[in-house]
Amino acid sequence: MHCIEVDQLRVVYPNKDGDRVALDRVSLSIGHESVALLGPNGAGKSTLMGVLSGTVFPNEGTVHRGYENGLGIVIQTPALDELLTVRENLRLAGDLHGMSKEAINGSTQALIETLGIADRINQQIRKLSGGLKRRVDLARALLPSPGLLLLDEPTTGLDVEARASLWSSIDRIRTKSPMAVLFATHLTEEASKADRVILLSEGRVIIDGTPTELLAGLGEAVLRVRSGSESAVAQIESWCSQIGCPCVSKGLETLISHAKPEHAGQCPRDPLSVTLASPTLEDVYLWHARVGIAESSGGTA
Amino acid sequence: MNGLQAAIGLGRRELIRQIRQPSRIVASVLTPMLIWIFIVGGFSSAIGQDNTDANLTAYMIPGVASLTVMFASIFASISLIQDRHDGFLRAALISPAPRWSIVVGKVSAGALVAMVQGLVVLAALPFLGVQLSVVGVLGACAGLALISIALIGLGLGLAWVVDSSQGFHGIMNAVLMPMWLTSGAIFPINDAAGWLRIIALCNPLTWAHGAIRSSVGMVGIEGMPTGLDWLITIAFAGACIVLATGVMGRASRRV
Repeated sequence: MHCIEVDQLRVVYPNKDGDRVALDRVSLSIGHESVALLGPNGAGKSTLMGVLSGTVFPNEGTVHRGYENGLGIVIQTPALDELLTVRENLRLAGDLHGMSKEAINGSTQALIETLGIADRINQQIRKLSGGLKRRVDLARALLPSPGLLLLDEPTTGLDVEARASLWSSIDRIRTKSPMAVLFATHLTEEASKADRVILLSEGRVIIDGTPTELLAGLGEAVLRVRSGSESAVAQIESWCSQIGCPCVSKGLETLISHAKPEHAGQCPRDPLSVTLASPTLEDVYLWHARVGIAESSGGTA
Repeated sequence: MNGLQAAIGLGRRELIRQIRQPSRIVASVLTPMLIWIFIVGGFSSAIGQDNTDANLTAYMIPGVASLTVMFASIFASISLIQDRHDGFLRAALISPAPRWSIVVGKVSAGALVAMVQGLVVLAALPFLGVQLSVVGVLGACAGLALISIALIGLGLGLAWVVDSSQGFHGIMNAVLMPMWLTSGAIFPINDAAGWLRIIALCNPLTWAHGAIRSSVGMVGIEGMPTGLDWLITIAFAGACIVLATGVMGRASRRV
């Protein structure tokens, strides 16, 4: 059973310099899992979030919602009233969802304890730190126990500790009440914790799979080679063809997948640096983003 | 989904915001009062007749009260733009609460605050020789509330389609200030030039001023059927609310 399913979504923003295609025939479905939406700025992540939340209307395509209790959303800026206290903000969220007073009080108590904000309940939002505001915003989104939680770059602007704290809070909540979570992020380390990763680029889904599957797609090791000139890059690409390893270059850096340890010492033209390592999600991201750019500009990987 | 519960919650939020921002209330009352003092001072020296001064001073009070209401209404409706920038509007829109509840919540709380601020100005009338009755005060309250409902409705409709608060202020000032100036707020339209009287009679704010003035025992719009001023004022407020609800109910990506 899918929580949400979209088919052939197309969103075009009118622009006086020419219409901008934000989503181009995007189809995907999400079950009761956590899904990371990865992609560069302008890839269409926020637009997709907008379509899923019902605040952006697609020009074409369909959205089928199968979740219960509505959805919760946390965006880059906490959707809280700075002049209201934590309790007042949560009460308002409950009123907007038509919850009874008892349900609001019960959910509020449970959430503030789980999220560690019980001692801030009567403080105005403007007096809280960025990390605490984000936790209150999460409590607001979770108050009606939504079937789908959308997180649009929820850790933007947070320090490492606040980021870790927010994610551990989300994990705690998910263990108590299972729900589908879709989160957009720029950070591959955050995406690697998801059950599934979707990479968006220029409004299209480039890859979709579990982190393990995506890492396996690059083989056991990845070689990063930094060259001193464009001619050296071309020579390295030619060498990759000879050894049978796919590669993709951007600028003076070449990423080589399915590399073997001995390849590190065989690079032609004395590169500036050579790094051999097990593939990471960052490699996957860079690989597919570059392949996408190369394909859209007429080149090949 | 209980839209009324959402509207009450949103209205409560607006009232709490008012209480925690006293500078907004002070600015809304102080600015019109200063305008009143300077205009009366200017006209007094120009006319130079004590009797006329006293009449004019009292005559302008309902107009100054409506200017206070206008400023308060602009503050109330511009908060929609702030809500959009803060992400609060998005959270409200994805909730099951109907969109009319956002309009009702903002309008009811905003109108209550604006009405109270307008009443503060009207409280000057007894000191200027105009005796107020309970019925008169209730009538004035209704008139001020209707003006505010109309202007907040108009403002919300505009705020829905305008992205910046600067643009919103520009358009609202371009629309509302001429409306206020031609509504008989600072001069009696009964004695105005023919062309100006025609413009004034086409202005719904003129009829709202007439309704307030007749409620407090002053001269309303002469030569018009009794109750027409109230009818037009109520229709204007209703039309603005329908406009705001209609505009906000449209498909939008402005969140």
